[in-house]
Amino acid sequence: MRNSETMPDVNPIRPKRSGLQAVPATPPSTRDLLERAGRGDEQAFSALYDDVAPMVFGVIKRVIRDQALSEEVTQEVFVEVWKLAPRYDAAKGSPHAWVSTIAHRRAVDRVRSEQSRKNREQADVDTKVHTGPDVGDEVVADMVEQLDRVRVREALAALSEAQREAIELAYYGGRTYREVAVLLGIAEGTVKTRIRDGLIKVRDHMEVTR
Amino acid sequence: MNDDLHHLAGAYALDALDDNERLAFEAHYATCDICTEEVRSFQEAASSLADGASTEPPPNLKGQIMAQVAQTRQVGPVVIDLSEARNRRRPNMRLIATAVAAACIVVAGIFGAQLLSNGSDTDDLIAAPDAVITDLDGENGQLQIVWSAERDQVAIIGSDIESPAEGSTYELWFVNADGVAKAALFKPDGGNVNDVFDVDDAEPTGFGVTIEPDGGSDQPTSDILYLGEI
Repeated sequence: MRNSETMPDVNPIRPKRSGLQAVPATPPSTRDLLERAGRGDEQAFSALYDDVAPMVFGVIKRVIRDQALSEEVTQEVFVEVWKLAPRYDAAKGSPHAWVSTIAHRRAVDRVRSEQSRKNREQADVDTKVHTGPDVGDEVVADMVEQLDRVRVREALAALSEAQREAIELAYYGGRTYREVAVLLGIAEGTVKTRIRDGLIKVRDHMEVTR
Repeated sequence: MNDDLHHLAGAYALDALDDNERLAFEAHYATCDICTEEVRSFQEAASSLADGASTEPPPNLKGQIMAQVAQTRQVGPVVIDLSEARNRRRPNMRLIATAVAAACIVVAGIFGAQLLSNGSDTDDLIAAPDAVITDLDGENGQLQIVWSAERDQVAIIGSDIESPAEGSTYELWFVNADGVAKAALFKPDGGNVNDVFDVDDAEPTGFGVTIEPDGGSDQPTSDILYLGEI
């Protein structure tokens, strides 16, 4: 465990392990922060927020797009991260993966429930077949712009165009693979294959560059 | 290696499964080492996609969140969560569940059979064409169940199994969406279990083990000690 465990309490009112100030020079890792947050340390949680909030808000905003709704969902996600922090298990994944999984899941749940509500409303006034929400050039342009982050761009560059398209529609678009299949006009099995093969490439690339 | 299995792991990591598939996959991947590792590594890959979308949140958001956090109680840590795993079983998952489980069983079959069997009765049952091998996870290690519907037999295999208290016995249960049914009573011998039992006709989707008074019970009366899905 960390040094703070063995040091005397700086402030006897606080829980034993909460003294951020007791940690020496090197900044605590995200994992340390998450584990301390899991023991009820709000200061650690505050530092954790600073560390992961751009990723959390970014991925939520990407999926949801609406600013106000994205803020609302970001708030829900962080409260959930706080609540669930005692159950974080480092053996099952990095803190970033754990947090981003919660964030993305929540964002996707939100757009899908919104979407099904809209579809129901729309069905009353419109007999047009809805195969899924519109994905226009704007979305694609937005994605390209946002992907301007070196490591991710490189990782995605390693993908074939077809793999990238499937992964972006699924992850950033919040679509199920079935929806992706309809949007791209290809078989569901093909989408699953592209997603999996693409993720293997991204994973391998990240492992090399990390 | 089953392709369907891996394809679902990728889509799962991107939250690209619909609700039914998601539940079905979750109910299974945790009991399959290969699925678990795939999901773990794919979620890491997905987190780099999330990083790629990084955007500064509005500055006032943090204050609101910290204020809410200050009033929010955290959950307890996981001690052992078998009951939750049991409750997650849903009858409407059958279709995918079967595909995923089949792939896991193939793997379990290859490794499991080599690893643990040494009794000839057990070997005989494993060799049955319809034999299904299921790992049951528990706090103190694993049990393996070999089940043949054709023969109405189960084998229970395990090592380092703690002896139940005087006057009590382990009881194996068939589990499915309708509930549980008695399967067999067993006790370890020197920590080892390697027994074959004749059982009633059953359609289990999983197995559970409890400790019961000698002679067994009609319904489980203790916590579930071992649990696994087919």
